[in-house]
Amino acid sequence: MQCARCLADTASVVAHAPDGSGAWEMIYCARCNFSWRTSDEDQYINPARREQIFQYEGLDLETLPTVMPIAPLRK
Amino acid sequence: MPSLDFRDFLGQLEQQGQLVRLSDEILPEPDVRAVARAAADMVDTGPAVVMDNIKGYKGKKLAVNVHGSWANYAIMMGMPKTTSLKEMFYELARRWESSAGEVKWVTNPVCQQNVITSNINLYEILPLYRINPYDGGFYFSKASVITRDPEYPGNLDKTNVGLYRMQVHGPDTIGLNIQPAHDIGTHLRKAEENNQPLPIAICLGVHPMLSVMACTPLAYGQSEFKFAAALDGRTQELAKALTCDLDLPAGTEIILEGEVVPRQRTAEGPFGEMPGCYSALRSQYRIKVKAVTHRNDPIMESLYVGMPWTEHDTLVGLSTCVPLYQQLRETMPEVTAVNALYQHGLTVIVAVDNKFGHYAKTVAMRLASTPHGVSYCKNIILVDGSVDPFDLPQVMWALSTRVRPDKDVIVIHPTRGHPSDPSSEPPGISGKVIIDATTPAYPDKTGPEYRLIDKVENSDLFRQKLQELQRLVSGRKLEPTTV
Repeated sequence: MQCARCLADTASVVAHAPDGSGAWEMIYCARCNFSWRTSDEDQYINPARREQIFQYEGLDLETLPTVMPIAPLRK
Repeated sequence: MPSLDFRDFLGQLEQQGQLVRLSDEILPEPDVRAVARAAADMVDTGPAVVMDNIKGYKGKKLAVNVHGSWANYAIMMGMPKTTSLKEMFYELARRWESSAGEVKWVTNPVCQQNVITSNINLYEILPLYRINPYDGGFYFSKASVITRDPEYPGNLDKTNVGLYRMQVHGPDTIGLNIQPAHDIGTHLRKAEENNQPLPIAICLGVHPMLSVMACTPLAYGQSEFKFAAALDGRTQELAKALTCDLDLPAGTEIILEGEVVPRQRTAEGPFGEMPGCYSALRSQYRIKVKAVTHRNDPIMESLYVGMPWTEHDTLVGLSTCVPLYQQLRETMPEVTAVNALYQHGLTVIVAVDNKFGHYAKTVAMRLASTPHGVSYCKNIILVDGSVDPFDLPQVMWALSTRVRPDKDVIVIHPTRGHPSDPSSEPPGISGKVIIDATTPAYPDKTGPEYRLIDKVENSDLFRQKLQELQRLVSGRKLEPTTV
């Protein structure tokens, strides 16, 4: 399934409404970690309607800014 | 009367009309967000809200705005719910100076009445909601996170309880946003240097004073549990974790036990933050959850954070003021009060008696070099000790009538800043501005002599009289007036 945010084919259904109502499914992208509910408002989960500043098509995970770089191993 | 645990505190709030239960069916998005925002908008008197009919999560309970008003904060302090901010500040400071609080360990704690160790699916166990529309996922915004310095096993004073945002990353995995200045940052660095996972416990629905201490800038060796006990006036009960040697608050509603995976980073964010804007997508730590424990019929806790004022501001406000006040007064007893309510102390107002010319500016530099001040305390305003720093009209008067632009405004740049401050460029680098609105003192030139107008005698008495009359008028049905 396509991720609504990074547009990679790495999203899948990971949960269902636990009360058995079938009210929604939860979808999670294993690449960019975006998750959304099928009942979310369309403007926030439809790639064509989401604000571009929050879209990460072609995201390079290796070059994301990091707040705490991995510490060197102690010798 | 101090509370015993989160659930007892909800009962106290309800008794005093400061908790409401919302049982109408609502959507997880956008309704829960709107409910939490609405409650937080009632800054002085807003109630806690417990929801139990969120579509898809019917029967699961979610509490928001528990610390979201000054009335609720006063009740937590065991004070009348109309207590003023300044009174609560001095009471918190008084308790801070009292003897250290006590902790004790219990067995068979209520937080472990139910244990889940297989097929963990956080999206189904917990009533999660998207806090702001462009958040990268579903967040814990009010979790007390417990870790311990790996060089001090079993040492409660080297255990940290901190409030950090966390994004659920799949059914049993969580992203963790950490700054190097956090105590947990030290724990993570030490564990990672040895390629060791760091045990971690994420506590949802804890004793209300522990939530406050989790976002209070204590010194590294100070225990949040003991401070919470001292400020609450009652022993904090702890229990041993099931999967590691961490100590946990025994009365907690829901606890996730797990490990921070060493030497891995993953995409985390964006998240709507306390400065009122979204933080960026960044590479951050990942937690693997090993066990979920909870009370019977658990109550999940969350807070709305976004454009101020929100519950986040009320939760962290006074307990940010007090340690700064105490740290300043260790060497500068002329400081009479500190207001650091704004964005966790990015802007601070210090009331200080100027013992010689430009002394207040030295106080500002001391503030900027406290542990919290290094990253926060960007805008430092100084007013005379006679000015109430919690009364903004008084502060504005001081700024309007005291500041000499050529002498009393100092800009220091660059310095460390806070990465979540959108004016910090690059993130984590900023500066300080000191605005000295105190009255000049010798040998500074004091300018032309002037005489302040005295406070009007008996005005307090007449204010009470006028308020009584106003109450009478508002309670009386007025007849239409004819001309």
